[in-house]
Amino acid sequence: MASVTLDRINKLYENGFHAVQDLSIDIADGEFIVLVGPSGCGKSTALRMVAGLEDISTGTLKIGEKVVNTLSPKDRDIAMVFQSYALYPHMTVGDNIAYGLHIRKMDKSEIERRVKKAADMLELGALLDRKPKQLSGGQRQRVAMGRAIVREPQVFLMDEPLSNLDAKLRVQMRAEIGQVQQDLNVTTLYVTHDQVEAMTMGDRVVVLKAGILMQVGAPQFLYDNPANIFVAGFIGSPPMNMGLGTIGRSGDAYTLQLGSSLLTLAPELIAEKPAIKNYVGRELVVGLRSEDMEDARIRRNSTEVINAHVVLTEALGSEIVVHFESDIPKVENADTKLLAKDSGAAEIPSAGHTANKWVASFAPRSRVRPRDDIQVVVDTERLHFFDKDTSNSINK
Amino acid sequence: MSTVQMKTSNAEVVSLGSAQGNWFRRVGWRHVVGIVAVFFAAFPVVFVISAALNPLGTLSSSDLIPTNAGFDNFKKLFSTTPFWRWMLNSLIIAVLSSGLSMFVSASAAYGLSRFRFKGRRAGLLGLLLVQMFPQFLAITTLYLLFATITDLYPAVGFNTPWALILLALGGSMGSGTWLIKGFFDTIPKDLDESAKVDGATHAQIYFGIILPLVTPILAVTGLLGFIGAINEFIIAGIFLTEPNAKTVAVGLYGLVSAERNANFGLFAAGALVLAIPIVALFQYLQRFIVGGLTAGAVKG
Repeated sequence: MASVTLDRINKLYENGFHAVQDLSIDIADGEFIVLVGPSGCGKSTALRMVAGLEDISTGTLKIGEKVVNTLSPKDRDIAMVFQSYALYPHMTVGDNIAYGLHIRKMDKSEIERRVKKAADMLELGALLDRKPKQLSGGQRQRVAMGRAIVREPQVFLMDEPLSNLDAKLRVQMRAEIGQVQQDLNVTTLYVTHDQVEAMTMGDRVVVLKAGILMQVGAPQFLYDNPANIFVAGFIGSPPMNMGLGTIGRSGDAYTLQLGSSLLTLAPELIAEKPAIKNYVGRELVVGLRSEDMEDARIRRNSTEVINAHVVLTEALGSEIVVHFESDIPKVENADTKLLAKDSGAAEIPSAGHTANKWVASFAPRSRVRPRDDIQVVVDTERLHFFDKDTSNSINK
Repeated sequence: MSTVQMKTSNAEVVSLGSAQGNWFRRVGWRHVVGIVAVFFAAFPVVFVISAALNPLGTLSSSDLIPTNAGFDNFKKLFSTTPFWRWMLNSLIIAVLSSGLSMFVSASAAYGLSRFRFKGRRAGLLGLLLVQMFPQFLAITTLYLLFATITDLYPAVGFNTPWALILLALGGSMGSGTWLIKGFFDTIPKDLDESAKVDGATHAQIYFGIILPLVTPILAVTGLLGFIGAINEFIIAGIFLTEPNAKTVAVGLYGLVSAERNANFGLFAAGALVLAIPIVALFQYLQRFIVGGLTAGAVKG
């Protein structure tokens, strides 16, 4: 077990593509770190550099106290789980798991002990004599995990290990990997493009965009305090709703013009983020999580409301997810385009639907129906603000 | 005959006829094609067997089973010519050249499939281009080359199997390398990387992980190389002139090349014996020539 330190790591390909730029992360011993970002953001490249499968262009990589930049993968004492599992098809499950130990000429009885331990841990005992092609996807995934576990390495590296599984199995394996990591307490780097995995598994989450680090932090911290528009739109499901608004002033109070609605900002919010005062009269990007809105017919006494036209409702039992259109101007910049592309929303034809679509989650008592014109209560304390030009959060 | 009767009989004839027509169109023609194909394939074999058993040593026998059929030709072949010596030469050349060229091709293919380096593309195209020119073009050059080699290093010159083995190593590399490279390309690179992280060296990855997965194509290239080497005649005929250095192909040709008294009986008998190792090897390798070995490596 060891800490991992990435210090200003760069990956510059010969064709000029800058895959990873100045990435610095300190990973504590036993920590579970998730690297997350849309495809092509350099997260896999970063992982492969830690593994030693890609050269590090510049920067220092330390595992424990040792600089490992030039060490080959086998000398770094790491184990990696691949997206495709990469099981050796001509070997049995047992041989697959033991391969790394055989290569290192370990004692036969020790190999047997470790394989048995890993097999017990992952419930592979009955499958040790089978070939990989006789296994189901979930079992193959477990064999790949087993191969990493028996090595008892300093660091686990996992490259989207769950993305080939179906949804149900993914949830189950997610819990299993988390459990195994906790039991063994091995430092883990986990790459995924699925922000749900990032939220549920990581001690800390690293959000990358186009090779650049956007934000590092505990999942809940990232959710509550996104550093910029990209993180706000990437972390959380549904993503944070966003629109353009203008800060105004009436007497002592600060107001927010959001489409045709005028909201009065809570004094607590201004106290918390005094920098908002500098934006009076200027347009900025406003963000709001779906759970910070409520049906005005449920919360009757509130005056901070926006007008909405319901497009779609999804009753989930514990909540009702309401998709609505409003006259709040849409935010369109490079970040929102990238997010739309990554979520697949860019491919959904939306002829005639150019209005800004938001998603709110209402209490199940709400009787909202599609095509209703309703009022939505906004929890103004929970509003997020971002600079329109820099995309950065206004949180000071 | 009344009209009604005529109609019935006509209808019967038509329906019967159409049923037969359908059967022939659907199934019957396949039998015809099959029989023709079997005849084509079997005729030369039957003819050679017939000639081998014909004690007169002629090809113009009018009977399929010749009069006084027997093994005279075989006895004569084994007693009057150094046939077993030729056979040994043929097998040495075929086994070594097919085995070694298989290994060389596979190694080259691995490099070309897995690594990116300067000259990779040019090398691949070069291998392909060289294949376009028939070996005949090089014969004079090869003769001069090996004449010098024979002067300097007689151990690998004319009248030794090594000259032909060396030639085969280079000659079969082109097509073999391309064939095997195509197969390597289908093996996910994740396997190499996984083994690398597990601590395997390049050699361990190559011999322990990758080669076992390409046995089908290795069997195919090995078999093609073996058959090619056994059948090789033109260069062998020029390089191997001493009776004890000849291969079966060259030796047998010597038996029928004389203007008169060409004994095709001996030739046919020798050809039959030569077929045995090829058929045996084919039967042995058949089990390896099955695809789908990589199933289960990655998601599927």
